[in-house]
Amino acid sequence: MQEDLKTEQLARVNIYALISRLLMNEVDEELLELILKDKNILSFFPTFENWDKQKNMSAKDLIEKYLNVDFTNLLLLHLVPYESFYMREDQMMETGGDNPVQKLYNDFDFRVELDEARVMAGDHIGVELEFMYKLCEAEYKALEDEEYDIAAKIAEIEYAFLKEHLVEWAPMFLLNVKNEAGTAFYFDLADVAIEFILSDFEYLSRLKNDNYSYEKGIK
Amino acid sequence: MDIKDLNELRGEFEALSQRNNLLGCEDGSCVSDEEAREDYPDYLKAIYSEIMPPVKSGIYFSRWDLKTMASQLDESFAIDVRERMFKNFMQWIATPDDMKAVIGEFSKLIDMKCDIYRDYAKRYPASKNIFDTKIDKAQKAKKYLDKVYVEFFT
Repeated sequence: MQEDLKTEQLARVNIYALISRLLMNEVDEELLELILKDKNILSFFPTFENWDKQKNMSAKDLIEKYLNVDFTNLLLLHLVPYESFYMREDQMMETGGDNPVQKLYNDFDFRVELDEARVMAGDHIGVELEFMYKLCEAEYKALEDEEYDIAAKIAEIEYAFLKEHLVEWAPMFLLNVKNEAGTAFYFDLADVAIEFILSDFEYLSRLKNDNYSYEKGIK
Repeated sequence: MDIKDLNELRGEFEALSQRNNLLGCEDGSCVSDEEAREDYPDYLKAIYSEIMPPVKSGIYFSRWDLKTMASQLDESFAIDVRERMFKNFMQWIATPDDMKAVIGEFSKLIDMKCDIYRDYAKRYPASKNIFDTKIDKAQKAKKYLDKVYVEFFT
């Protein structure tokens, strides 16, 4: 695999992993320390980097006094992080087998442990992003093995999933997260999540227009 | 059978027929006129079903959005179930001017979100169709609010 393609694919895998993890559960000390120490990751959180509370408090205090409170407000109490709410006229969440993404997950043997993830349905934003992470990881492995046809098929699924699901509803939710965030951390997270989803859709659209030919797709 | 037995029998019959009437009303076909008037879809229900679902208006109006819009009009209510907050906001409306002010707040928020959608559509052309559809829905939602004002408040 070419080096630039490898770098791009690895970045996609890592960013999906990071934003899905942060939108699914509260941040822990280990992950926060990792974000603060890694300049590349920290560059996604420019407001948080300069936030006075981040500079003056320990990771533990920051999490307990601010970040967990904000996570609870934004992702558990006041906003709705489930796709079905945004796609149904009755604004209800579909927690059963008729969930729009459940069939797709089943087709790819993607199992969602709802209890473990502490979500009510598979169309939670964190779960949908994790599904994209798993797809990107599989695409990366296929490219490493020079199985370009398989990689192209996976990229096609990624494109369709973004188009029909995440791009359709996630910006509506994330814009409200950004507007209502009480901490610089979740403000930046919402911003980077929107920008990344849209830029990844841009990348996949280019790849699609080039018939999923990786040589052209990365230019 | 004496008169007391007859009265008891009549009472039982009336109770039974009342119960049967209620059972036969499960489809709502035999509600009283008063109940029917209560169920009549007023502007509150119409707005809730046309504007509040993100799939219809292209905009997610959250609880904080409702609270913020109300606070712009010097009204305050507690964070609650979203539908109840919406009803509280609508029930605050007492005059055509109040309704105009509420529509103004909704329109301001819609315009603000549409500007952001336009920015994303410009920077990420592959998503343009998706955002354009949302902007169209949002513009229709604004027109719907104006229509409600004309129909119910003028």
